[in-house]
Amino acid sequence: MVLTFIAIFAIGIAAGVVGAILGLGGGIIIVPALTLGFGMPMRTAVAASTVCIIATSTGAAVAFLRDRLTNTRVAIWLEMGTATGALTGALVAALVNQRLLFILFGALLSYSAYNMFRTRKEQQKPEVVPDAISRKLRLKGSYYDKALGRRVDYQVTRTLHGLIIMYFSGAAAGLLGIGAGIFKVPAMDQVMGMPFKASSATSNFMIGVTAASGAVVYFARGDVKPLVAGPVVLGVLLGAILGARLMMRMNANKIRLFFMPILAYTAIEMIYEGVKWW
Amino acid sequence: MVVGNDPEEGTAVNPIEMVLARLLRLGSLVAAALLAVGIAMMVLGQTELAPKLITAGLLVLLGTPILRVVAASVIFVRERDWHFALFSLVVLCAMAAGIYFGKG
Repeated sequence: MVLTFIAIFAIGIAAGVVGAILGLGGGIIIVPALTLGFGMPMRTAVAASTVCIIATSTGAAVAFLRDRLTNTRVAIWLEMGTATGALTGALVAALVNQRLLFILFGALLSYSAYNMFRTRKEQQKPEVVPDAISRKLRLKGSYYDKALGRRVDYQVTRTLHGLIIMYFSGAAAGLLGIGAGIFKVPAMDQVMGMPFKASSATSNFMIGVTAASGAVVYFARGDVKPLVAGPVVLGVLLGAILGARLMMRMNANKIRLFFMPILAYTAIEMIYEGVKWW
Repeated sequence: MVVGNDPEEGTAVNPIEMVLARLLRLGSLVAAALLAVGIAMMVLGQTELAPKLITAGLLVLLGTPILRVVAASVIFVRERDWHFALFSLVVLCAMAAGIYFGKG
């Protein structure tokens, strides 16, 4: 039993580090590791992974908030989209064709992976002109980039596009049980014109809220098994604290380089999920 | 707390970030401590109490993002930032409805 605890704990640390650096929930690591590696039922793995999303978010956010990498105003604006989207997703889950959605979202992610690949060499984003909402809500931000050794000031644009994408990303999370951060980072980075590190930190901040209502439901159903979730969540918590520190010192382009294969993998995985039964 | 409301304010520390950082740090420390003690007791053979401690740790962790939204909305109301107070309220209602419908 002790060995299993240590193994699950180690997986948690790895998932926490990766999740904190990339702004993702880490479910992409935890769910396959628990089901394939330890033969646990899917429900147990998904429930544990949902609590892990909160652990990644909470553990990393402390450091990101202190260094002002997290844009709290953007986060709250976009959380309206994810929270209402997740609610809609859960309500209409029985009515929609999931296969079609998997293919649709997979295609969307493929495009965003391609877009990220195309712009991989850009150190500086072209000048972003804030739109009316962004100006009115004062969504702009600034942080000190430890890797560049200077302050980065940025503006935010296409705020409504961002909100709509968040709504659908929330719906995808509610419908398909995926996509805690994988839609959020590209939406802020590529659509709203935010710096990659600010996008990742803000996504990280938001995913805890997206996961919270789901986690409460899993708890109420008794799907959260303390002996599985305990070690993995503790690992994720420590991993996320460590990962946040690493991320702040990393070059944004290097982080993108890690993000792209995960984006591409998820896209292929989702399209496969949609096609496999035909 | 007018400091964070100044639109031209750039480098000064925004109080909302600090309040939320403190809240999240407290949540993660308490959760980590409960989880660590619970797992240690499990290993030592205290199978009665250990799962309860771990569950308590998981519940503390679960509460932090919800409390985070509540804290943010309180701060926005205090700063008379009505737009963001409303946004936080929308998020809270959607979360509550999600829990309500999810259980059924």
